[in-house]
Amino acid sequence: MRTLWLMLAGLIAAPLPAAEPDAGQAAYAAGDFVGAIERWQAQVVAEGATAGRLAALGNAEWKLGRKGRAMVCWERALLLDPRNAVATAGIRHAQSAGGVERPALTWAEDYAGFLGANAWLVIATAAFWVALLGLLIPRLRQREPSEWQAKMVVAAATIFLLSLPGLWGGHLHARRAVVRQTEVSLRLTPTARGEAIVGIAEGDVVRTDRPFNGYVRVTTADGKSGWLQAREIESPWGGGLPANLDTPKAP
Amino acid sequence: MTRCLRLLACFLALTCARAEDYVSWEMTPPVAGPGQPFKLQVRIESDVILGPADRVGRELKPPKGMALRFSGQLFRANTTEATLNFSGVAPEEEGAHVIPSFNIRFPAKLIKVPAMTVNVSAATGFRREGQARAELAMPVRTYYVGERIPGAILLKGSEQEMVNGSFGLECEAEGFTFQQVGARNEELPNGQGIQTGFELTPLRTGTSEVTINGIMLVNTGGLGGFTASGRDRPFTFRRMVTVEHVPETGRPAEWTGAIGRFLAESVSVSNPKPEVGEPIRLRAILAGEGNLDRILPPEIGSSETWDVIPSNDRRFRRAEDQRSFTYTLVPRLPGKQMTPAIRFAVFDPETRTFQRLEFAPQPVTVTGNAPSKVDLVSADPGAAAGTPAAKALIGLATPDPRARGLLDPGAQVVAPLARSHPFWTTNLTLLTLSATLFAAAAGSAYLLAHPEIRRRARARREVRAARRAAGTAVDDAGFAVACVRGLRAGCAPWIEATPEALTQGDIRRVLPAADAAALDRIFRRADGAKFGAPSDASLQAEKPALLALLAELEARL
Repeated sequence: MRTLWLMLAGLIAAPLPAAEPDAGQAAYAAGDFVGAIERWQAQVVAEGATAGRLAALGNAEWKLGRKGRAMVCWERALLLDPRNAVATAGIRHAQSAGGVERPALTWAEDYAGFLGANAWLVIATAAFWVALLGLLIPRLRQREPSEWQAKMVVAAATIFLLSLPGLWGGHLHARRAVVRQTEVSLRLTPTARGEAIVGIAEGDVVRTDRPFNGYVRVTTADGKSGWLQAREIESPWGGGLPANLDTPKAP
Repeated sequence: MTRCLRLLACFLALTCARAEDYVSWEMTPPVAGPGQPFKLQVRIESDVILGPADRVGRELKPPKGMALRFSGQLFRANTTEATLNFSGVAPEEEGAHVIPSFNIRFPAKLIKVPAMTVNVSAATGFRREGQARAELAMPVRTYYVGERIPGAILLKGSEQEMVNGSFGLECEAEGFTFQQVGARNEELPNGQGIQTGFELTPLRTGTSEVTINGIMLVNTGGLGGFTASGRDRPFTFRRMVTVEHVPETGRPAEWTGAIGRFLAESVSVSNPKPEVGEPIRLRAILAGEGNLDRILPPEIGSSETWDVIPSNDRRFRRAEDQRSFTYTLVPRLPGKQMTPAIRFAVFDPETRTFQRLEFAPQPVTVTGNAPSKVDLVSADPGAAAGTPAAKALIGLATPDPRARGLLDPGAQVVAPLARSHPFWTTNLTLLTLSATLFAAAAGSAYLLAHPEIRRRARARREVRAARRAAGTAVDDAGFAVACVRGLRAGCAPWIEATPEALTQGDIRRVLPAADAAALDRIFRRADGAKFGAPSDASLQAEKPALLALLAELEARL
């Protein structure tokens, strides 16, 4: 019996075996970034986009100098997992070494980043239903709510109220986009002949506003507002792999 | 014997092959005007040493209307080449005029010159009469500060006045630099004069007058510009020009002063397989027409893959209209890398638009090992010695594709739950059901707490039915029964009693203003039989008043 307990204790105490690097990681480590991208993209197509895969794709895209695609991958990974270390490091790296500009987060976006937009919505919905049912059920039963029911309603209502800034921050965070074209001019008007206000580099993140005439009104990281063509930017929400916006080369 | 015959055949074949002579000719100008002098040059390459030609013009028979004479020959001793020059005057008649084939006798052999065609056209603009004149060729448009404006003075002569040369070309214009380019007296392509090229470069904005002066040498006697019959003739051109800055509208960030029309000629690396830390040179060649010498080299920033030492190369080859930019790149990481793209913007003064050029990234295979820690080093030639390097690179984290978030199921599309229609539909449906259930329960509880509401509603329905029955009753008995039923049903809720238990007195308590006699008659008619006092009195007189009483009772409910 003692031996059995010792074996069990050994099994629990034994470190978990390190996961074998997949083919994409091996290619990435060997400097074959194109190969790594191909493998990870195949994984995304087959099994779906996860924060880890998108962040890894962002690293490989960055290594190939494709800033726009890399930033889309990282931003998308942070939407799925706001604490993803690879995507966070990638964006910091892009801002410090790559010259990428990204609007500073508002307090609500910072708050929302604690859990992520989807998590906040799930929490808010659950809290809402708990509070509502906690109020309704005693009335339907025509009885006074018990003490624990009252406490549950108060707790659920508090959680619901606390989740409102998170929902608002998630809403603000969703209205961002990454500039995908190499050289883009911020236009004063949403027309082809609109006067260029300032140039925006590939990979820069902008806040988006209303669309009009094939253009989207945006605000840059330094607060300049203008219009960009809708095809020049890509929103982190609403996609898996980065959209293929590269201009095909002439034969 | 057979072998001897084969050798002989080979020898004869080689002899025949070597025996071919190559004769070419060139006419200046290629197309002559009617009566225009022209030059004809015949070049001969042979397999033997030719020596001087003899009696060249003897067999020369120009076509009708064309004057042609042998004007000299050029040959070198012990060479197999010879050049013969002819001078002529084109016929007056337009068209193609063929000079028949003729023979030229050299000491070594006789060489046949093939037939040559002289094309004559009046469209060349050749003037037989009139004075020599000067023309200014310069684009007429708005100029831009820093651009290279190519121009030329075209000196055109005639048969009477030929232009032999020019000198003293100068420009009087404030805010411009002026420079002659090319040969001073370059012959015009149509052979009708000479031209002198120049370049103007505006230095500041505004409207000013550009004056270009010069002197051309005119030969009126056909014996050369410095003979007694030659004379110099001055010319002056004045032109008002407007100079502006290159527009800021639409000016790309990478524009570094290029004005003109250029193309990315080529880009190359000095070593496609360097080691980590081994500098290589990236050379890009820009070609085209414009201010090549005034362009600042495009900037390339350092990255985690490359350290870039900015270009300070100002090599400019005017003759080839080329400009090269050379950068020194130091690879920092091993593997298959791409050199940075060199992006460039050009302003086209003709179309007034900016165009972008890009020297494509070049593939480079970097060997060796990466340093343990990668620090970004910015090489700034202008920085003082000992200046600290740029801020350190944070670096990318090691990718972990297995990592997942809290709500990260691995969907094909990363979409927010807030945009999910099923999510909102489900919640709204549940909310509607809850509200309905709650409303129903609350209503039921309220009715239970207030039973008079239901009693009044029921009484109202019964009064309405009784009033309708009374109105349609065919005899007084039916009218009386319906009225009494309605009065009892309508008064019952007010005294909280069963309708059937109410008496005439109860009705009068509820309706004190009602006509007591009429109530008495109708109750006796309806219930009199039960109590042994039936009444046959007519109720026609009270009918309207009783119906009105029922209507009032219904309204009170």
